[in-house]
Amino acid sequence: MTSLTEITGKPAPEETQSCWSCGTMRAVHFCEACGKVQPPAPVDYFTFFALPRKLNFDVAALEKDFYELSRKLHPDLNARANSQEQEWTLQQSSLLNDAYRTLKDPIKRTQYLLQLEGVELEEQSKTATERARSTGEIKKQIVPPDLLEEVFELNMQLEELRMHKKMGEDDPALIEEIGRQKLELEEKQEALLHELKDRWNMWDGMIQREQNGQPVSEEERKQERDKMVDLLNRRNYIRNLVRDVSEVLESS
Amino acid sequence: MSYSDKVIDHYNNPRNVGSMDKSSADVGTGLVGAPECGDVMKLQIKVNRDTNVIEEAKFKTFGCGSAIASSSLATEWVKGKTVDEALAIKNMDIVKELSLPPVKIHCSVLAEDAIRAAIGDWKKKQESAKPVTSAVAQ
Repeated sequence: MTSLTEITGKPAPEETQSCWSCGTMRAVHFCEACGKVQPPAPVDYFTFFALPRKLNFDVAALEKDFYELSRKLHPDLNARANSQEQEWTLQQSSLLNDAYRTLKDPIKRTQYLLQLEGVELEEQSKTATERARSTGEIKKQIVPPDLLEEVFELNMQLEELRMHKKMGEDDPALIEEIGRQKLELEEKQEALLHELKDRWNMWDGMIQREQNGQPVSEEERKQERDKMVDLLNRRNYIRNLVRDVSEVLESS
Repeated sequence: MSYSDKVIDHYNNPRNVGSMDKSSADVGTGLVGAPECGDVMKLQIKVNRDTNVIEEAKFKTFGCGSAIASSSLATEWVKGKTVDEALAIKNMDIVKELSLPPVKIHCSVLAEDAIRAAIGDWKKKQESAKPVTSAVAQ
């Protein structure tokens, strides 16, 4: 059996240990020497695929690694392994699926990286509220006010349309207006994704400089993180709107 | 996850849904959002200028049941309170009253934000109105 390292030509991570079965140095998922499945190491998803913690990478290569590993971790191939090995196979398999699903999706990938960087996306609103409470100042809204206004207004229109429909009334002018807004929202969503990819390049450039031995200040790191968080927040709203608008339009 | 009876009650019979004139000097408006879930909440208060008591409160929320219940409860609570008393309302008070599960705590945060934002907007209006009244007094 070949190892992931042979398949992908990537070096095994430094923290690899010796194989439980034959004692030689092993790769992350299978031993390079004897090919036995290894207990899953507590690694992040980037490390799992032997990728640096950057946001741009070859997605086709990731996909190839994923299918290769999926095949090797298939229960049918490991039917004769002992129960411990079968359990590890299952754990590796589940980790593989989580890692792949997270990394292949641009949004999930960014969220995951930010999470690794210590950003608590779920907690930002609460943290800002606590800060505002202790200083007595008005909380700075995480999402720009004009976007909130837009979200609110569009939701009002959607509600109006739903009401009309409940009453059995037709409102072609409103449907047309909402349809036009749907297109605008989709364009916005597209533009946000482009913007996010620009941020990826900035981030990766920064990591690259760091790897080249140039120091990167915590402030710069934070700035780059914050810009990505801001984009993800705005995108959440747009995504919800596109979803709601589509729902209403489809039923009209 | 199931909603508590209180959440369901507020969701089915939301109190004080509606809006007031945003441009009125006695009305403070707070429009806030939770990026975690994409909800938006608008909360408005009408304050008696002499007593600083919140006489009327209205809200409109687009979001999940917990967000609607949190803002509905918030309007109930601020009514009859002075502005300073209303500022003392904490999101955890709402969590307790509605028995919100941990994943819905951000809804209560949103409601507290909305109260603060509405009061902040009202205060700003009072400050900008002051120089005018003193000019008239002279």
